[in-house]
Amino acid sequence: MTVLELKQAKKTFGTGHKKVEALKETNFQAQAGEMIAIIGPSGSGKSTFLTIAGGLQTPSEGDVVINGTSLAKLNEKKLSKVRLNEIGFILQASNLVPFLTVHNQMMLLKKVKKDTLNDQELEELYKDLGIEELRNKYPSDLSGGERQRVAIAKALYTNPSIVLADEPTASLDSERAYEVMELLQKETKSKQTTTLVVTHDTRLIDYCDRVFKMTDGTLREEDHTPKEGTAHE
Amino acid sequence: MFLAWNEIKKNKLRFALVIGVLFLVSYLVFFLTGLANGLANLNREAVDKWAGDGIMLTEDSDQSLPQSFLSIEDADSIDAETAVLGQLNTIVTSGDLKQGVAIFGIDENEFITPDVSEGELFSDENEVVAADFLQEEGFEIGDTLTLSSSDEELTIVGFTEDARFNAAPVLYASLETFQTVRFGEATEQNADQVNGIVIRADDLSALDAPEDLAIVDTQTFIENLPGYTEQKLTLDFMIYFLFIISATIVAIFLYVLTVQKINMFGVMKAQGISNGYLARSVVAQTFILAAVGVVTGYVLTLVTGLFLPNAVPVQFDGVAMAIYGVVLIAVAILGAIFSVLTIVRIDPLKAIGA
Ligand SMILES: Nc1ncnc2c1ncn2[C@@H]1O[C@H](COP(=O)(O)OP(=O)(O)OP(=O)(O)O)[C@@H](O)[C@H]1O
Ligand SMILES: [Mg+2]
Repeated sequence: MTVLELKQAKKTFGTGHKKVEALKETNFQAQAGEMIAIIGPSGSGKSTFLTIAGGLQTPSEGDVVINGTSLAKLNEKKLSKVRLNEIGFILQASNLVPFLTVHNQMMLLKKVKKDTLNDQELEELYKDLGIEELRNKYPSDLSGGERQRVAIAKALYTNPSIVLADEPTASLDSERAYEVMELLQKETKSKQTTTLVVTHDTRLIDYCDRVFKMTDGTLREEDHTPKEGTAHE
Repeated sequence: MFLAWNEIKKNKLRFALVIGVLFLVSYLVFFLTGLANGLANLNREAVDKWAGDGIMLTEDSDQSLPQSFLSIEDADSIDAETAVLGQLNTIVTSGDLKQGVAIFGIDENEFITPDVSEGELFSDENEVVAADFLQEEGFEIGDTLTLSSSDEELTIVGFTEDARFNAAPVLYASLETFQTVRFGEATEQNADQVNGIVIRADDLSALDAPEDLAIVDTQTFIENLPGYTEQKLTLDFMIYFLFIISATIVAIFLYVLTVQKINMFGVMKAQGISNGYLARSVVAQTFILAAVGVVTGYVLTLVTGLFLPNAVPVQFDGVAMAIYGVVLIAVAILGAIFSVLTIVRIDPLKAIGA
C-alpha cells in the first residue's frame, strides 16, 4: 500500500540569479512497512525533501499525497491535522517544549490527539529508548543524546503512519545509534509504518530496505540489498 | 490549561515576577482611585450624612451656604420634611490642639441631627457633638474649646462619624449655641436666623420657594461647594489617564511575554498542535496571571486602607474598584489575543530550523 507519494514535486527558493532549486522535480513513492534511507552531501536538499513530505512546507510545484489525501488542497488548519495524525517528526534540532517534563511531552500529545500509544506501550517505548529513568526531567537537564531519544519517543508516541527522521542519530554514540536504528526498524515492521531516515552515516543504511541519494536537489535510488536481521552485533 | 499551568509551575520565579508587575499596576490604580475618592469626599461627607434631597437658600447667595441668610419661619411655607441649618467656620483650640472646624447649628428634633458614635447628644448650652476626626487628632469628650471668632467656650459631649464639610470637621450644636457663637451680644435680635433649610422631598420641583429664596437640589449644591468641581475634575482626569496608561502597559507587557516564546510555539505547531489549542492556552495563562495579580492588588489595597491613619483621606468604592479590576483583566487578555495573532502567523518550519 502506498502511504506517501510525491508527484512532480519541486521546490525553489528566491528569484533571479539568487534562485536555488533546493528540490528538482521529484517523483517518489513509499509503502507501508518500508524503512528508507536518504543520504547525500550537506546542502543537497535532504531536509527540504523531508519537510515537504511531512507537510511542513508546500512544494513550489507538484503535490504530496499521504494515505490518499492530496496536501495541495489543504489549508493550514487541515495540514496541521495531517501532521498531528499521520506524521511523527524527529528533527535535526531537538523539538522539545522546554517547560514540560519528558513524560508531560507525551501527555501534551495525548491531550490533543485521541489515538496514541496506551500506557503499557509507552512504558515499553521508554525502555526501548533507555529513557524510563528520565521521565520527570526537563529538557534542560538532559544530554543531547537523551534529548534526541525523547524526541524519538515523542514521534512514535502518536502512532504515526509516517515517521520522518532528520539525522536522528547525529548526537548519539555509535552504540546508541545502532540501537535507535534497530528500534525504528522494529516499529516500522511491527506497526507497518513508513519510515524515512536522513543520515550521513552510511553504516546505518544496513537497517533500511531502500536507499536514496540526494545530489543537488535530485533524488536517485541506489542499489541496495538489505541485510538479514540486525546488521551490527 | 495543561500547557499554561505546566509552564507556570516550571518557571515559578519568572511568573511570580509577572504577577508582581500586574499586582503593582492594579494596586496603583486601586489605591489612587481610593485617594481621589477620599479627597473628593472630604468636601461632601457632612452633606451626604444629612441625606437631604435639596436645600433652600437665598437667591442672592449664589448657592453658597455661608452667603445665605434666611429665617426659621421660611421652613413653614415648605410642604415637606425640613431641617434648619446654621453654619459658620472658625478655629477651635484646646490646650496645644488647634483645628479649623465648621459649626452646624441644628434643631435636634430635625433630621440633620447626627447619630452619636460615642458620648451623647448635646443637651445643654455650648455643648457640641464633634466629627470623630477631632478624636483622632487628640480631642476628647469633656474638652473645652476656645474659639477664634468668639469669647464663648464649647464643650465636646460626643463624637459622630464621617462628618466633614468642605474638608473641615463639623461641630454639631443646638441653634441657640450656634446663635450665641455667631452673634454674641446681638443674639436676641437674630434668634431666628439660619443659613439654609435642608429639604427631604421626592419631587423638589413641586415645591414653591418663598420670594427671594431658591431651592437647590443636593447634587448642584455639592458641585457648587468652593473648589469641589475643579478638584474633582482634576482628580478624575488623573485617574482616567493613570488607568488608560496602566491598561496599555499591561497589554503591551503580556504581548511581549508571549512573543518571546514564538519559537516554542513553532515547534509545537510543527508537530500538528493546532493554533486553536495554543491560543486557548495563552489566553488561559494570561487570565490566571491577570486574575491573581488584580485580586491580590484589590485585597492588599483594602488591607492597606485598614492600616492608614484616618488623616489620610482615602475611600474605597468596592464596585468601582471591581469594574477597574475587570477592565484590567480584560485588557490583559486583549494583549494576549494580539500575541495569538502572532502565533497564528508563525511558520513552523522556521521555528524548527530544518
Ligand atoms: N528557506 C530557505 N530559503 C532559501 N534557501 C534555502 C531555504 N531552505 C533551504 N535552502 C537552500 O536549499 C538547499 C537545500 O537545503 P537543505 O536544508 O534541504 O539541505 P540538507 O541536504 O538538509 O543539508 P544538511 O545535510 O546540511 O542538513 C541549500 O542550498 C539551502 O541553502
Ligand atoms: Mg538538513
